[in-house]
Parts: sequence; structure tokens; C-alpha cells
Amino acid sequence: MTNEAIIQLKDIDVTFHNKGQTVEAVKKVSLTVNRGDIYGVVGYSGAGKSTLVRVINRLQRPTAGSVEVNGQNILNLSSRELRTARTKIGMIFQHFNLMASRTIADNVGYPLKGRLSHEDRKKKVAHLLDLVGLSEKATDYPAQLSGGQKQRVAIARALANDPEILISDEATSALDPKTTSSILALLKRLNKELGLTVVLITHEMEAVKEICNKVAVMEDGEIIERGDLVSIFSRPQKPLTQDFINTATQINQALEKIFRQAASLNLSESQQLVQLQYVGASTDAPLITELYKRYNVVSNILYGNVEILQDTPLGNLIVVMSGDPDKLVAAWQYCQDAGIQITHLNPNDSEVA
Amino acid sequence: MSLLAKYFPNAVTMKGDFLQATGETLYMTAITAIVAGIIGMAIGIGLIVTQPGGILENRVIYNILDKIVNLCRSIPFVILLAVIAPLTRIIVGTAIGTTAAIVPLVIGSAPFYARQIQNALAEVDRGVIEAAESVGSGPIAIIFRVYLKEGLADIIRSSVLTLISLIDLTAMAGAIGGGGLGNLAINVGYSRFETDVTVMAMLIILVIVFAIQLIGDLLARHVDHTA
Ligand SMILES: Nc1ncnc2c1ncn2[C@@H]1O[C@H](COP(=O)(O)OP(=O)(O)OP(=O)(O)O)[C@@H](O)[C@H]1O
Ligand SMILES: [Mg+2]
Repeated sequence: MTNEAIIQLKDIDVTFHNKGQTVEAVKKVSLTVNRGDIYGVVGYSGAGKSTLVRVINRLQRPTAGSVEVNGQNILNLSSRELRTARTKIGMIFQHFNLMASRTIADNVGYPLKGRLSHEDRKKKVAHLLDLVGLSEKATDYPAQLSGGQKQRVAIARALANDPEILISDEATSALDPKTTSSILALLKRLNKELGLTVVLITHEMEAVKEICNKVAVMEDGEIIERGDLVSIFSRPQKPLTQDFINTATQINQALEKIFRQAASLNLSESQQLVQLQYVGASTDAPLITELYKRYNVVSNILYGNVEILQDTPLGNLIVVMSGDPDKLVAAWQYCQDAGIQITHLNPNDSEVA
Repeated sequence: MSLLAKYFPNAVTMKGDFLQATGETLYMTAITAIVAGIIGMAIGIGLIVTQPGGILENRVIYNILDKIVNLCRSIPFVILLAVIAPLTRIIVGTAIGTTAAIVPLVIGSAPFYARQIQNALAEVDRGVIEAAESVGSGPIAIIFRVYLKEGLADIIRSSVLTLISLIDLTAMAGAIGGGGLGNLAINVGYSRFETDVTVMAMLIILVIVFAIQLIGDLLARHVDHTA
């Protein structure tokens, strides 16, 4: 992860005109991706994610703005130059988009025809299939493969031209969680071993959480929040971002259950339902112990979760704190001083923090 | 043999005529198939690539091709035969005979084939085209290495359909002087009330049609890897 920008989108607008209707799919978006990044772009359906990334290899021409990839102004290229530039930008898709009439080896070798000799092509295809772990499927047809295997073939095809960038447009959205993890792990490995820059579009924060170092959140054609993974996860600013994170950490489900039972918890004056969030090495147990030792505050843990993001632990605790009201205030202050985010949860307020 | 003689009393005496007529039908079909095949294929590809959202989107060319195809397809073949007789005379020197029949046959079947090709290629997944574009393929590569390859099974099926309808047209062309089995069935069988000749001509045409269908199906299945 150097600081050398490999993709620079500036003030991108994409407007579609369709039968008198105007859709502003992307509005004034700027995005810089550095070499070696795994940059996540999340957003709900229709947010404009695909439209935005298709601008990178000019599958979509922007209505306004500038696109620079690898120092080249993509929008000024002739069609021949564009084709050459595209070989350096691999792309994988939700529905794999393999050619049903070609074998796996032929699909992977497709981009190499005319660029390499027959012999070299064969060697390269064998190497690529080995890289994605599908050597024994070379002579099969796509229809004979599982979804995860098809996506591996698509990845191998996208890598055939030795691209420096790989754009993944919902590449795991049609796959089950386990297969998704294995595909993400593969992308991560390619990022590490080949120095591949990855732009990962998804509507699942889980995927971002697993491999990205940076993330941008899109809504209604705009990037509403962006930053490095840990800071976005630890201090999200926008409700939508919070929402995505909550879904990913499954804290939403936990809160829902807790709130449903809140009535039966029968919280008294001296009890508080709070959420504690911390980043870094501090662990749950000492904190709880400290609170008890110092303030005689008892914390009953209802839910706990630790995420490891980019090797940084990110903890989430939902506890009921019991103690004297003034002690509770002191305990609260102690947490804040320790750099722990503490939020009061109100069970009657169904809106999740 | 006696059975054949019993049910086809006139036809058995006309072995030479049938052989010649079958040859003429196959000749008309083959030459037309090649010429109309090339023209129809070119127009069909033209329609697909220039259509809105196509890889070489071009409204003007698309509309021109589309109109030509529609126009040619809406003229009934029998009328087409008569209308283009002068043109035929210019091209082949005569308006009657087997070779002369090829001109209207081409004009009658090429637009049909173009539509068939267009429909077959429209089945090629837009996403696959996009994937090819994303690895740097240009229009020529996409036409030959994606459209024609991915659409091959459907192209074969469409070709079979076109060939069969072409045989139908040769019979019609034959009936008004083009020769072939159609000529035999109408001008001999029907006119002289020798029904067995008509039936025999029909049976031979059916055999040709079934053979084409069978070979086509086998080929299509051979190249189809979608399931
Ligand atoms: N070719 C097009 N013509 C007209 N409108 C389009 C076109 N492509 C996209 N749009 C519109 O632009 C908006 C953004 O679409 P886009 O596909 O970029 O969203 P997305 O974030 O990728 O969604 P999803 O998660 O469903 O893939 C949508 O409202 C969509 O209808
Ligand atoms: Mg999309």
C-alpha cells in the first residue's frame, strides 16, 4: 500500500436519458485508489456502484469528469489505445459471464489469442488455472462447474492479461457464504502476491470487512462516507454506514433480541443498558473488572463481539451496568477516558444506535 | 418393386425425371443457401451490432437494414417472382429455368435468414460481450470470437429452419418454370391428374427436409454446451 494513485476519478457525473426520464446515476463523485489498495465500495441496489466503476475502464463513458488510470487519461484514448488500456484493468462480474461454448481453458485463454503464441498461451492458461486451483477442470465446460468454480475461472480470465487492477462488481453476491469467503481469500492472496489493486463492489459489509483496507459508502449516486476500514468501522459518521456495519457485525440482530426482551429485563433506576465500543488492544475482561473494583459497578454482558480488521481488534459489548447512580456516572467517565465509546441504549427507541 | 408400381404407376416410369428434378431442387437450394446465407448472415450481424446498445451502435444503419428486411419479408413470394423477373433477366440473362430461380429465391430467403441470425445472436448474453470488451476485445473479435461462437448452436437451428423454408420456396419457384420437384408435382402430377407423381415429389421433399432437420439437430447438439 504505497501512496501512489493508480485510479483517479474526478467529479464524475453519469446521467442516463431514457424515454424522457433522466437518471443521475453518479453525481460529482471523486475517488482515488492507491496501488495495492483493496478498495471496497458499498451501497444498496441502485446506488450507482456499478455505473461508477464501469467508468474506470470506460465501459461507461461519464457525462462529466475525468478518469485517470495508471497515469493515462482514459477518456481521451482512441479505441485501439483503450483496448490496450483495458488489458491492464481486469473485471469480474456477479454472473461470471463465461462463454458457455468454450472450455474452461479456452475461456481463460480467450484474452490471450493473438497476443501470445499457441505454446505460450497453453503454458499461461495452465499457470492461471493452477493459481485459482482449477487445473483439473481445464477441459470442462462452464455448465459443469459450481458458482464458486465459475467465479474462479472468471478471475483467471481477468488475470490473463496480467492486469494491475482488478474490478470486482458484486463478484460474490451470487455465492454462498463459504464460497464467498474462499473467493475473497483468493482476491486477498492475489493482492498480496501479485500486488494487484482491487476495487471491490458489494452490498455486503462482511466482504469489505474481510479483505478491504479502504471503503467508500455510496447512496443515491454519491459517496457519502469514505476512509480506511478501521476508522469507518470504529467511527462511522452516517446512519447508512452504521447500518451496513451493524448488519455486518450482526449487532443489529443482537440489539433486536435484547430490545425485545428489554421489558423483561426490568431495568431499575440504578441500571443502564449501554453499548461499549473500543478499538485496539484493550480487552473486555479488565474493563469489566476495573469498573467493579473502582466503582462497584456490575456489568452484565448481554452481547459481545470482536472483529479483527486489518489486524486491529474492534470490540463491541452490550451490557447492563448496575450500581449507584453517581457511581454509574463515574464509571461512564472512566470508559470515555479509556478511549472507549459508550452509548446509552434506550429499549423503547427502536431506532438502533 | 411391384408394390411401388401398384401405388405409383406413373411415377415409376419417370425415374429419370425424378432424378433430374431432385437434382434441380438440391442445386437451387444449395446455391441459394450459399448466397442468401452470406447476405443474410452479414445483414443479421449488421443488425445486431448496430442496434441500440450494440457494440457498434448506429441508428441510421440499423434503421436502413431493418426497413429493407421488413420490406422484403412482407412481399409474398409468388408476387416477388413476377416482380423481379426483369432484374433476373439482367443478372442471369433469362427469367426462366433453375438458375434464374435463384435470384428471387435469394431475395426471398436472405431477409428471413437475416432475422433468424439477428434473433439467434440476440440470445448471446450481454454480460459475456461486456466481459470480452473488458479484456480488450474489439468489434471484429467480438463478432467472430464471441457472437458467432456463442450463438453457433442457435445459428445452426436457424439455418435449418431457413433451409426448410427455402425448399418450400424452391417448390413454388419450380411451379412457375424453375424446374425441380415443385415443377414436377404441379406441371406433371397436378396438371395431368397423375396424383402419384405429386405424392412421390412430396415424399422426396419430405425426405430431404427430414435429412436436413436430423443433421442440423445433431450438429446443434454437438456444439451446444449450455446444459
Ligand atoms: N444503461 C442505463 N440506462 C438507464 N439507467 C441506468 C443504466 N444503468 C444504470 N442505470 C440506473 O442508474 C442507477 C444506478 O445503477 P447501478 O447499476 O450503477 O447501481 P448499483 O449500485 O450497481 O446497483 P446494484 O447493487 O443493484 O447492482 C439505477 O437507478 C439504474 O436504474
Ligand atoms: Mg451493480
